[in-house]
Amino acid sequence: MKPDSTWRAFITPFVLLTGPGTIFISITLLLPLLTIVMFSFWRTESYELYADWNLDNYRVLFGEAAYRTFLFRSVVSGALTSLICLVLAWPVAYYIARHGGRYRLLLVLLLAAPFFTGVILRIAALQGILGPGGLINMTLGLAGFAPVKLLMYTPFAATIGHIYLYIPFMVTAIYLSLVNFDFALLDTAKINGAGPFRAFAEVTWPLNWIGTSIGTVLVFIPCLASTITPRFLGGPNATSFGMSLSQQFGETGTWALGSAMSVVMFIFSFLVIAIMSFTIDLRRSGFTGVGK
Amino acid sequence: MIGVTDRTARWRRRPMAGLLNLLYVFLYAPILYVIYASFSQDIVWPFPPAFTSQAYADLVSNSLYSDALINSLIIGLGSGIISTAIATAGVIGILRYPSKRRTLIIVIFLSPLFVAELLIGISSLAFNARILGLPGNMFSAIAANAVEGVAFSFLIILSQLVRYDWQMDEAAMVFGARPTRCFWEVTLPTIWPSLLGAFLISFILAFNNLEISFYNLGAIPTLPSVAWGSLRFGLGPELFALSALTNGFVFLIFAVMYVLMRTGLVKFGYRGK
Repeated sequence: MKPDSTWRAFITPFVLLTGPGTIFISITLLLPLLTIVMFSFWRTESYELYADWNLDNYRVLFGEAAYRTFLFRSVVSGALTSLICLVLAWPVAYYIARHGGRYRLLLVLLLAAPFFTGVILRIAALQGILGPGGLINMTLGLAGFAPVKLLMYTPFAATIGHIYLYIPFMVTAIYLSLVNFDFALLDTAKINGAGPFRAFAEVTWPLNWIGTSIGTVLVFIPCLASTITPRFLGGPNATSFGMSLSQQFGETGTWALGSAMSVVMFIFSFLVIAIMSFTIDLRRSGFTGVGK
Repeated sequence: MIGVTDRTARWRRRPMAGLLNLLYVFLYAPILYVIYASFSQDIVWPFPPAFTSQAYADLVSNSLYSDALINSLIIGLGSGIISTAIATAGVIGILRYPSKRRTLIIVIFLSPLFVAELLIGISSLAFNARILGLPGNMFSAIAANAVEGVAFSFLIILSQLVRYDWQMDEAAMVFGARPTRCFWEVTLPTIWPSLLGAFLISFILAFNNLEISFYNLGAIPTLPSVAWGSLRFGLGPELFALSALTNGFVFLIFAVMYVLMRTGLVKFGYRGK
């Protein structure tokens, strides 16, 4: 065999088409993440990184109560937000996919359009609506009611902010799953005597579980890393893991500790992904038809 | 009998439609607030209303905002184009050419979805600054934003192309079309709405991204970083004005789309009646 033909055998259309993306993601995502893992075992002193390998950053991270609180807070907030988004997004996505007709794409794009306004402006606007002197409390005040304290600089307000920012991801993920779902299966179940709830629980829900779990992860992860929302809506007791992490790379310049925090954050994201993918049964996913 | 089931179906549909409308109200209330505040005299205490267009005049006269806007547009367009091109190639690769490595490729392409933006920003800062020794620059920012864009584009295009009938392409090839010509004349005319969707999403994400761009750009301003910087002194009304203008433009496009869909001139991939 000539070297030329082995070369040809390797350069298949598959490699040519998927190669650029694989190389791109390796250079721009995997290598940087590996760098962070490496730095997490280094040491920072007056804004400089020193390559003496040690576990001190992790010791600090798990030793100090403050970091544990930040992490716990962010994980709980992420889980809560994902759950609320899941419950709200399902009927909405279902309605668009099943009854949206020719306007389906427009209805979905309307969910994405708020992204044209930057996160900071949207959060500032939410602050303007929820905060003291904001739309809600001012209207209540004019009508002679006491202002709703719960809406002003509380973790509850931060959760509203998270739902606001990330629910479009959940709806879109479920929607993308539902548009590929064959609703004839649901009708078959009903014709064969299943009630609407049973048909939903045994056909629609399990067959769209991949989309649902992708949506859940897409909401959970940005909540876990959230910095701006808790800062502007959450009040004094809402310092999140992400806020503390970005401080290490900004004000305090402790890159090594920040890297260790990034690794911990990544591990928690990965745990959630692992749990979600563990619940996916590919034989009942409806996605087995990918390709031939 | 049919009338009865129709009616129950409609009653079951109504709460879902109501929830959808509520969600739109929730999502657009802050947007309307931004537009309202952009015309207010006092941005911190905008009630009761007092209107002025001062913010729009300031927006035009201040060059910081136009620089930031241009930088954001470059990042958005660059990232959008790279993401859509890479993702389209990847999707066609896994759907059309069966391979044992298909699952691996899907995992690689989707992996950025599961890494928080903050981590993408910080890790590419660490890699660029400390390993490659690069200062903040636009190329790094475009590339780092495109990481996320590739994953979103891949997800969107894949979910739309799963049902694509590749026999059309094979038919074209049988009649002598080369693969590239086949792509331009058969595949692309059918799949363009999903490519447009993927491009738009990756454009918006990169255009408005704070955390990835901020860590990769150093002192180069973008709209989100200007907003972030001005937060310390209170948000400038000019930013609200700019955002109001952007929203006006977006809704103009949506209105055009609505008319096209209504009249059935362009179906945007919808195959029903």
